[in-house]
Amino acid sequence: MLTKFHLTDCKVCENISKALVRTNFANEGARIRMRGKLMSGKRSLLKIAIVSATVFSLSACGLNGVDTGTDEKVALKTDNLSGEITFQTLALKPTFDDYINERIATFEKANPGTKIKWEDISFDGAQEKVSTAAQSNTMADIVNLNPNFAQPLEREGYFLDLDAAAPDAKKNYVEGAWNAFTVPAKEGSFGIPWYLTSEITMYNKDLFSKSGLDPEKAPATQEELYSAAEKVAAAGNGQFYGLHPALENRFIVDLAKMGVPLISDDFKKWEFNTPEAVAHVERLKTMYDSGVFSKDALTEGHAKEREAYMSDSIALFPSGPNFLKTIESDAPQVFSETAVAPQITGKDGVSNMSVMGLLIPNNSKNKELATAFALFISNDESQLELAKIAPVIPSSIGSLSDPYFEDDSDGTITSQARKISAAQIKDAENLVPVQFDDTVKKIVIENVQKAILGQMTAQDALDDAVKRATEVTTQAAEGN
Amino acid sequence: MKPRNALSPWLFLLPALVIALAFHIAPFIDTIVKSFTNYTPSRGGRFIGFDNYIRMLGDDNFWLALGNTALYMVVVVPFMVLLPLLLAMLAKPKVPGIGFFRASYYTPVVASMVAVGIIWQMLLREDGIINWLFSLLRPGTQAINFLSDSNLFLFCCMAVTIWKGLGYYMVIYLAGLANVPSELHEAASMDGAGIFRRFWSVVLPSLRPTMLLIALLSAIAAMKVFAEVYVLGGGATAGPANSGLTMVFLIRQNMSSFDSQVGYASALSLSLFVLTIGLSIAYVRMTRQETAS
Repeated sequence: MLTKFHLTDCKVCENISKALVRTNFANEGARIRMRGKLMSGKRSLLKIAIVSATVFSLSACGLNGVDTGTDEKVALKTDNLSGEITFQTLALKPTFDDYINERIATFEKANPGTKIKWEDISFDGAQEKVSTAAQSNTMADIVNLNPNFAQPLEREGYFLDLDAAAPDAKKNYVEGAWNAFTVPAKEGSFGIPWYLTSEITMYNKDLFSKSGLDPEKAPATQEELYSAAEKVAAAGNGQFYGLHPALENRFIVDLAKMGVPLISDDFKKWEFNTPEAVAHVERLKTMYDSGVFSKDALTEGHAKEREAYMSDSIALFPSGPNFLKTIESDAPQVFSETAVAPQITGKDGVSNMSVMGLLIPNNSKNKELATAFALFISNDESQLELAKIAPVIPSSIGSLSDPYFEDDSDGTITSQARKISAAQIKDAENLVPVQFDDTVKKIVIENVQKAILGQMTAQDALDDAVKRATEVTTQAAEGN
Repeated sequence: MKPRNALSPWLFLLPALVIALAFHIAPFIDTIVKSFTNYTPSRGGRFIGFDNYIRMLGDDNFWLALGNTALYMVVVVPFMVLLPLLLAMLAKPKVPGIGFFRASYYTPVVASMVAVGIIWQMLLREDGIINWLFSLLRPGTQAINFLSDSNLFLFCCMAVTIWKGLGYYMVIYLAGLANVPSELHEAASMDGAGIFRRFWSVVLPSLRPTMLLIALLSAIAAMKVFAEVYVLGGGATAGPANSGLTMVFLIRQNMSSFDSQVGYASALSLSLFVLTIGLSIAYVRMTRQETAS
């Protein structure tokens, strides 16, 4: 960073300043003693030295991190709004252009003198984009992030504490969703939960029939899932498989569903190297070796899993109901064979949910307007309208109790999925700890891949992953 | 020169100097400084001396990345020096329709790496075209796991690099071939030299500087390889069990989140820079010897 100069704060700068002063004295002496070309050469060198030293000093002084703005921890007044803000969403353009533009127009009409500028970023690389914007103090006034993306920025105090800024808001949202934007050992909550998704089980009835499975009965537990996958793979004989492991998306959630403790109570020490987790990795290796899923699937994530389902290559697709729309438009044949069922759970039956939130940076120039609009776009009316055009579930308690979420009388799998998902959400939890960031994920997935390929035993792979992941998480928490 | 005129050259140079200072020199010096700190974007940093460099020496991933990068260079460079030369020899004659072939060979160079990655995934998958061809040649053969076998993955990336780079170096060779004096060919023919003898005794010696240049360029490109590993490896890890980890991929792994270890990544970047500079110096010395001889 080249933006901050605190010469008095920095030893290096002090030394460089002294060196520059010494150089200037030396230069004075040289002027007296030397003439002609020799002097000219020395001057050039000196100029280069001065430029380099200046650049060096600028660089050296940019080690202070970023100004995160201030959070006064007081309730904001949102009754007299004016000005302009930028509202940034995640992968909603162009599908939801009409909806977002209509909501913005309604808000602006109700609050004359306000202007909401909407921008949208794609999901790929979103964390890096927001992170870069945070470092350069150019974040939008409202940013749309999930808890895992938001956590490092929340921890460093980038976002407004909404418990303090909007003390009446919390009671309007599903508790688990509101709490998803809290940080261990830090007071406050830093995001307004927006839309939620809770995974359902999508499966291909045709492939189920071909594999001798009951097309009206989906697997309900992980054991039933793996058993069904083995049968489908045997019937498919390399042409189609039962499931796609999508390790980077599914592995840690599966451990949580199995009841494996993932991280210690102080959120610093990972502890997922339990016998149950070891058995799970060994099971994955057995399935990989015996061809229950495609060999190439080892390194692939959710996007490839979706492609595999849409190309009839896998029979089971446990994922968010929001993907039904993509399947319907891009693979209508597969959509016509698709049935939906509740999320596959573990021993205690707890479902996982994904939360999307709206966060307001502390250095926003118009926090009042940003908070008011974030509360407006996530209120009962706005969320109900969104849920009617997209297979997502609202986080606001008022809209969640609408009869719309109980009604599957049209018989479509989209409404069945909505009903299942809404029923699950009431007791669902965000099972992935926010500390499971990209770095920790890479460590875990690399080691699980090694175990599956037989390069390490499952126990060694998980022990090593726990050790390295703990180092990363402790370092992040303590700032070393 | 009058003082007013003395300023003119600097004014002309100013835009380029500003750009060089802002986007090359300053970030470079910034990287050097940060390599001696524990800087992260979220918390800033403090000077920690040579700790990052000491940590690098004890980091298994650094040695894996360094080894893979060296292997990449050792395998890719000979192909990049020889295959484009053969292509250039084939594409050199001015016969009808040769423009089509030259354009075809050059197409992969301008193709997007993502599109290239998807094409090669379709070729190399367990149920891809190459395994299908193998099964036709020998029915019942077990499919080769090109993309999920730790021993094969890096070589698959190399194949993509070579395929994508051939056309670029072919164009350089075509320029080099056009500069071989026709008198030398005529003299050699009159002495009874056949096509292979002329290639060996006339073309190759004339192209030595071009070959050295291509060796240097392809070696530097091999050191910076990233996209091939990222696209074929799925992105989360550098291929199966991180087996395709290269220096740039490792730098990126340390830089991708808000808790990025920028200090450590800067130290890794500098080590890559030193290796690249070492290669360039070796090249300059070789070309000097070439000129002297």
